[in-house]
Amino acid sequence: MRVLMIYCHPVPESFNASVRDTAKAALEAAGHEVDLIDLHAEGFDPVMRADERRAYHDIAVADHPLPDHVARLKAAEALVFIYPTWWYGLPAMLKGWLDRVISPGVGFELPHGPGPIRPLLNHVRKIAIVSTCGAPRWLLLWVGDPGRRTILRGIRALCGRRCKTLWLAHYLMDSSTPESRGAYLAKVEKRLARF
Amino acid sequence: MRVLVLFAHPVETSFQAALHRQVVTTLETKGHIVDDCDLYAEGFQPCLSREERIGYHDEGANEEPVRAYVERLRTADALVLNFPVWNFGYPAILKGFFDRVFLPGVSFKLEGGMVKPCLHNIRKVACVTSYGGTRLRAFLAGDPPRKAVGRVLRVIVKPGAPVRYLAHYDMNRSTDDSRAAFLEKVRMEMERF
Repeated sequence: MRVLMIYCHPVPESFNASVRDTAKAALEAAGHEVDLIDLHAEGFDPVMRADERRAYHDIAVADHPLPDHVARLKAAEALVFIYPTWWYGLPAMLKGWLDRVISPGVGFELPHGPGPIRPLLNHVRKIAIVSTCGAPRWLLLWVGDPGRRTILRGIRALCGRRCKTLWLAHYLMDSSTPESRGAYLAKVEKRLARF
Repeated sequence: MRVLVLFAHPVETSFQAALHRQVVTTLETKGHIVDDCDLYAEGFQPCLSREERIGYHDEGANEEPVRAYVERLRTADALVLNFPVWNFGYPAILKGFFDRVFLPGVSFKLEGGMVKPCLHNIRKVACVTSYGGTRLRAFLAGDPPRKAVGRVLRVIVKPGAPVRYLAHYDMNRSTDDSRAAFLEKVRMEMERF
């Protein structure tokens, strides 16, 4: 499969970078083609400005302000998001990527009258999230897992009907140990090897 | 009361901007002091930098890059969030406010690995928002912003503080009447704030 990996962490030497490298190597070893977007490295601007918002509903795909990202998204058969969970959700940087790239005409189409929105990411057959969380699992569940649900329900609804989802989290990061991190990397490698 | 209004919409002619004006003018008419924080107009930068992330847990020093915003948050008695729901969540610029300003030592303390909320100067919270999709669609996705306000923010502020969540769903098919009714509802809520 052609996998678009969206990676978001501001610290190049962070644990998340190891997660990214492990995930990418595992996918490539399994024969997948990985296209990596490193949002902080490329200095992505997550803020949708006034002009872009004004044109949001009418802009033609050909005039999209982020043509490179759109082309890479449209070429993807799977999406893998790698990020730290902050405030139970996505870092602003990644949230802004969703807002700016997955616009009408790219991710979905709004009906002119009544009726549901039409998904346009039917080419995506699988979505995975690989994330580190400071909070314990029960707390995230109680809060409603905003980050996980934004992607695995919200974005998932724009994908193919049979699109599968995968959630791999290391909880309680603030009390993690070399062993727990090692075990987590091994889990990421194992699960993505049979992605 | 001193009310910090966090507003996050880029377009001045938008419905959110109308809601924002409604919130600010109604609160002022009622005698509240409004600290109107228009994140777009102020050019707020929402991404935690490498240095900020590395120093995140150094309470005190971690406030330096966003000191002015921390001050505004600490001197407020109430908080009003005013934003559109995009992709089942806060716009990035508002999410970044939580990431960068709601720091350890500001909104919570870590004691023995446990999180202790400490933004107890905030005695009242309201949220004024709009969704493109229907309430059912938001519900099926878990309605993350409703929970982020009702279950996260509620826990950080003064225990027992009232939290109001005002939302206009289905904006993509809204009418003049539905928008006017919602503006009126927001006015009434802000009068009683």
